[in-house]
Amino acid sequence: MRQLAPTRTNLLKVSAELNFARLGYELLDQKRNILILELMSLIDQATQHQDAIEKLLTEAYKSLEQSVTAMGRSRVRSLATAVHIDSRIAFRRRKVMGVSLPVVETEFQEFRPYFSLEGTSFHIDEALSRFKAALEMMGKLAELKVSITRLAGEIKKTVRKVNALEKIAIPDLAETKVNLENRLEETERDMFVLMKMVKRQLLEKRREDQ
Amino acid sequence: MKYFVIGDEDTTLGFSLAGVAGERVETSAEAENAFDRAVTEKEIGIILITERIAELIRPKVDRYLFTRDFPLIVEIPDRLGKMPGRPELREMVNQAIGMKLS
Repeated sequence: MRQLAPTRTNLLKVSAELNFARLGYELLDQKRNILILELMSLIDQATQHQDAIEKLLTEAYKSLEQSVTAMGRSRVRSLATAVHIDSRIAFRRRKVMGVSLPVVETEFQEFRPYFSLEGTSFHIDEALSRFKAALEMMGKLAELKVSITRLAGEIKKTVRKVNALEKIAIPDLAETKVNLENRLEETERDMFVLMKMVKRQLLEKRREDQ
Repeated sequence: MKYFVIGDEDTTLGFSLAGVAGERVETSAEAENAFDRAVTEKEIGIILITERIAELIRPKVDRYLFTRDFPLIVEIPDRLGKMPGRPELREMVNQAIGMKLS
């Protein structure tokens, strides 16, 4: 509670401050809820993506292993150097409640065919397309993960502000306001009694005079 | 901008089939070197790093993950599959913001 002189001006000031704090609290509370909703949907998406990528990669590694078994590691390595796929990542940003989040777009430019079909295993083709599929999802996963860490940070900050307002600032102001009101009323009652006494004395004096 | 892979032999070989450049590392010193070089490279937008390698230089990776804008870092499972004991995404977030999401 703040110690303020019990005047009407101070009461008005504290009331205005209290209203402002309540408004800020409401807005921040809304912001927190929106951010949490956004975060939860991002987490769901990210988990799905992660699972999908894990599955794809497991398959891709299997195909790779098979092609290595079929053709030998050095052959696979030399074929890999022949593959010509250009991946280009473009970043944009989007904003959620003032938090800037990245949006990743990946573009693939392929220059097929990469190698002769003759003398190469079927598995290597399979491995290639699986790794490429995994890569395509990777950009999205990166976007989601980074968005999640940023949003989590922002939520942490917002929660701290909301709590500070809810648990400290608003109760403190409310208490100060009540206290000011009480003291003002007390002085008012004092004045009232005082006036009554003055009036009675005046009346008595007048009666004595008559 | 481009992707870049840091991982073991199979991972780098696999992704090179998809046209992604990478660096094969085995020790934590090599990993650190490769990571440092990759993050300073302007052309690299997303770094894919296998969980096992990332675990070797965990403090460094986490510091980048949580503070820097670019490049983005994604951890991927390697040939041996997902590492056991890695916390779920949701748990990590719960921990980070210190409250439970339903």
